[in-house]
Amino acid sequence: MRGEIMKMFTGKPIIKGLGSGTALVTKMPINFTAAFTKIPSFLPYMNSVIMDRHHELFYKRIKNRVLVFPACIGSTGTGLLLLQIITTGGAPSAIIVQEADSLLVSGIVLSDVWFNKSFPVIEYGPEDIYEKIKTGDRVDVDGQTGEIRVTQG
Amino acid sequence: MKLNEKQENMLNGKSGEVMSLAMKTLVNYGDAFQAKRLVEITSAHVAGSFGIFAVKSYYNIINRIVTDGLKVKVPTTVNPRPGNRLHMVNQVVMNKQQFLENSFKKMGIIPNYSCACYDGVNVPSKGEPVAWAESSAVQYANSVLGAKTNRNSVMIDICSAVTGYVPEFGYMLDENRRGQILVKLKIDKMDASALGFIIGQRVVDKVPVIEHYPFTRVALKNMGGAMAASGAVALFHVEGLTPEAPDMKSIFDREPEKILTITQKDIDDLRTKDLSKTTSVVFGCPHMTLEEANDLAGYFNGASVKRPTCFCMTPAAKTEFEKSDRGQKVTAAGVKLYDHCPVAAFTVRRGNRHMLTSSAKCFYYLAGTDYGTKEDCLRACGVKS
Repeated sequence: MRGEIMKMFTGKPIIKGLGSGTALVTKMPINFTAAFTKIPSFLPYMNSVIMDRHHELFYKRIKNRVLVFPACIGSTGTGLLLLQIITTGGAPSAIIVQEADSLLVSGIVLSDVWFNKSFPVIEYGPEDIYEKIKTGDRVDVDGQTGEIRVTQG
Repeated sequence: MKLNEKQENMLNGKSGEVMSLAMKTLVNYGDAFQAKRLVEITSAHVAGSFGIFAVKSYYNIINRIVTDGLKVKVPTTVNPRPGNRLHMVNQVVMNKQQFLENSFKKMGIIPNYSCACYDGVNVPSKGEPVAWAESSAVQYANSVLGAKTNRNSVMIDICSAVTGYVPEFGYMLDENRRGQILVKLKIDKMDASALGFIIGQRVVDKVPVIEHYPFTRVALKNMGGAMAASGAVALFHVEGLTPEAPDMKSIFDREPEKILTITQKDIDDLRTKDLSKTTSVVFGCPHMTLEEANDLAGYFNGASVKRPTCFCMTPAAKTEFEKSDRGQKVTAAGVKLYDHCPVAAFTVRRGNRHMLTSSAKCFYYLAGTDYGTKEDCLRACGVKS
């Protein structure tokens, strides 16, 4: 393991599994449908790039990252887009979200039940999440226990 | 989650492996939100209606459902067509459209092909549990009709339709349908779609209660659609207008968590300042109803549009409007009538970069659009507003 463990805390486990990666953090809710249905989204190497011009993560790639954000917004296509990203190898390593909603959960449940592919999701409501995790930090997540370990990036 | 014997049997494969996977999807979905049971639904609405070539995992699941001969157990409607026949590029990008439509037919889905399914086709009563996808339709079902649905994802809709169940959590439960945020209005010239966009941005996923304003059904539809694009609102109330909010006292259990005031300036800030750039004008998102098209028709009477203009309407409304005297005057003015989804249809387009729309939902999703009020749009069309 690189570096020294800086922080360890626990959220509410939503989807099981282990995941590790570099954090990608935003305080803006994400509209997955707007983010992943633009023309370039259908090119294989662009499948995990956020293409929503309304979002601060415009042009950022979520693949293998630990994505930290407040909530999902927008269309009910979210589950389908997540399912597609996961089954085509563009999935994040884990998601830490302030409020896990029906759309986020469905995308991962669908991919788990029908394709045996999934990643952990932890719900962590308090605002201090943005103090605890910064973009670039190394984050390890245990979706069974809700444990989150952050090593400064 | 506690299942009854019939549900347990479906989960354990007594009705086949595919049915069992559909049940497992709903059980896991509900478990993530501590749902205690699955409830019977009275209708479903399916959102995944665009046959985009890339979403192969979706077609894989649908194919397994159709091959196993599963059919919907409740009346089920479906979202718009994507304008796949509009031009060659769309035909290539949406090359799974025929497969999708054939599959829906085999599953017994009603071919209404509109997001405004609640316009005379799929109209649940107050209090009925339903499983709808399509964020704007969810808004309408919950807020305007008083039916109960969560913001279900694409494919959760189909799993619910073929099993007849949905997990009971969130907006299926009365205690989660109460007001959370009070919205006050300081608006001189109402624009429901823009108002919805701003409310969605500010409340994100809470339940807003808007102080009384006599919104029409059409305005409620467009406001709800916008709120669910810029935010994740599944349910809103309007004091003294929507079914669960006869007055402020009965919709709030306690003091509002927050009080927002939306002003005329907020609405004006959303509008484009420069109509001269506009290359075309699009009306309808969610789909225009007949009522809405008739309301606009008068402006086009005897006129001739200055820029390409289209109405995107429910297929049923389009058929009726085309035949009517009003509709013929609108098309004589140069307006094109479509029944596809503008967002799907116009994503690929040549030139025509600055489309002007009076739908804040369309503005959010369709790259290269500007927002204008109805009056702005009519001005861009070159007709008197």
